Amino acid sequence: MTSTLLAVRDLRASYPGPSGPVEVVHGVDLDLARGEKLALVGESGSGKSVTARAILRLDPDATLSGRVELDGADLLALPTRRMRAIRGARVGLVFQDPLAALNPVMTIGWQITQPLVIRGVPKKIARRRGVDLLARLGVRDAERRFDDYPHQFSGGMRQRVVIAIAVIAEPDLLIADEPTTALDVRVQARVLELLHELTGERDMAVLLITHDLGIVAGFADRAVVMRHGRAVETGSVEDIYHRPRHEYTKALLAAVPRIGGDPTRPLITIKEGER
Amino acid sequence: MTRIMAIDRIALAVAVLVVTLAVVGPFLAPHDPYAVDLANALHGPSAAHWFGTDVNGRDVLSRILYGAQVTLPATVIVIAAATLLGTLIGTVAALGGKAVDEVLMRLTDIGLSLPSIILALGLAAALGPGLRSAVIALALTWWPGYARLVRTLVREVKDAEYVDAARMLGVSRARLVFRHILPNALNSLYVQTTLDVSAVMLVISGLSFVGVGAQVPSAEWGAMIAAAANNLTNGWWAVAFPGLAILLTAVAFNLVGDWLRVRNDPTIREGVR
Repeated sequence: MTSTLLAVRDLRASYPGPSGPVEVVHGVDLDLARGEKLALVGESGSGKSVTARAILRLDPDATLSGRVELDGADLLALPTRRMRAIRGARVGLVFQDPLAALNPVMTIGWQITQPLVIRGVPKKIARRRGVDLLARLGVRDAERRFDDYPHQFSGGMRQRVVIAIAVIAEPDLLIADEPTTALDVRVQARVLELLHELTGERDMAVLLITHDLGIVAGFADRAVVMRHGRAVETGSVEDIYHRPRHEYTKALLAAVPRIGGDPTRPLITIKEGER
Repeated sequence: MTRIMAIDRIALAVAVLVVTLAVVGPFLAPHDPYAVDLANALHGPSAAHWFGTDVNGRDVLSRILYGAQVTLPATVIVIAAATLLGTLIGTVAALGGKAVDEVLMRLTDIGLSLPSIILALGLAAALGPGLRSAVIALALTWWPGYARLVRTLVREVKDAEYVDAARMLGVSRARLVFRHILPNALNSLYVQTTLDVSAVMLVISGLSFVGVGAQVPSAEWGAMIAAAANNLTNGWWAVAFPGLAILLTAVAFNLVGDWLRVRNDPTIREGVR
């Protein structure tokens, strides 16, 4: 944990609504060091995905304010052209639904090599690197499967392809937006393990967006708990699990069902309006 | 599955045959298609004239072979022009923002409201009746349908997550449109175009039939039917064989369209190829 890679300060995002703009992220602060794994945790609608998308300015109709500094350069102030150069090359994104994130009429290989090809890497070299990466991610017979189409891959395999696309250009930061939600438990574990190994090998920082507290414990170094568009608690995973300070974090942890728990007791629901 | 494959193959074979005949037809034609021989007028199919002769004693088979060179290119030009224009306008409308969309779609509405026959009649009056006027009029009235279709298809695809994902990789706008949005959106357009081959062919023939398309000595298929229709009772072959040529070509292109769609969609391609 040496130098800061990503520093988000007072990030606000609003979207046009029927009666004027609606602010959905109300001033979020985040810090991410090189090689660090940070989890952004919260229930649905807490603003975690919007925060991640705002960092990359993915939604053209969102109004953003605050600062998002990647290596000191404010991404929110960059012209579109320079922003495009950062997407995919310096920051990779793993999408939630691996089927929807792949173009159905292009081959797997074409899509994996695209981040390199559009930056002028010769096709042959890009292909070599793509096949190697796919094999590294545990796809058997990668050379032959490189020319297959997305529908010929299973869910877990597709997610490996999506990860390959995100990391092939060796970004400094990988944003993973619920990368395992669409997968079954066994595949989830394998995909997380791969992400862990890969980021370790390449000294990549990871911003993991999830609502699954089990994943956070096994994967991240630190966590930020979000609710209603605000970061309510930030700390090491250790602290958040064992010494939660914020009421919401405590409630969130208590709401996780446990196998050893008394099955006759109803699960705790989080009261609305609790801050 | 195997039966569908067989039909596809036959359709492809027929389509290839029609196109081949359009190219080499004049070399195969047993007679001069324009040679009037009143002594042999309205003879039924025979060894000398397989498809019989028309009211002027011209060999129907030779005329059909020559006519393919008139009808097919005219159809292809109309379809190509309308597809290009329609795709361009539809795509720009779908991606260009509200104001652009509104202007282009109202323009499309104007185009849709013009009946091709009326426009062809007007153009025939301005440019002189002929195949050229018919082709221009048809292209001008055919594109709005494509523009509407493409606009809807592109709007559906442009918000797909894989388009988002590609944008996320720093893919440029042009590449996004040509490699990600259009290849996914235009699958249904292929089918529409091949279905339209028959429709356009029929309208060209129809325009020739009412007299604003191909003119009298021309062996255009519709013009042939128009000329022979007066003698339907005592010379059915002069109507039936050009009609059959239109029918066969139309059906073949329809089936080829279906086959093309299957070929272009990797998710249903397996086993059907």
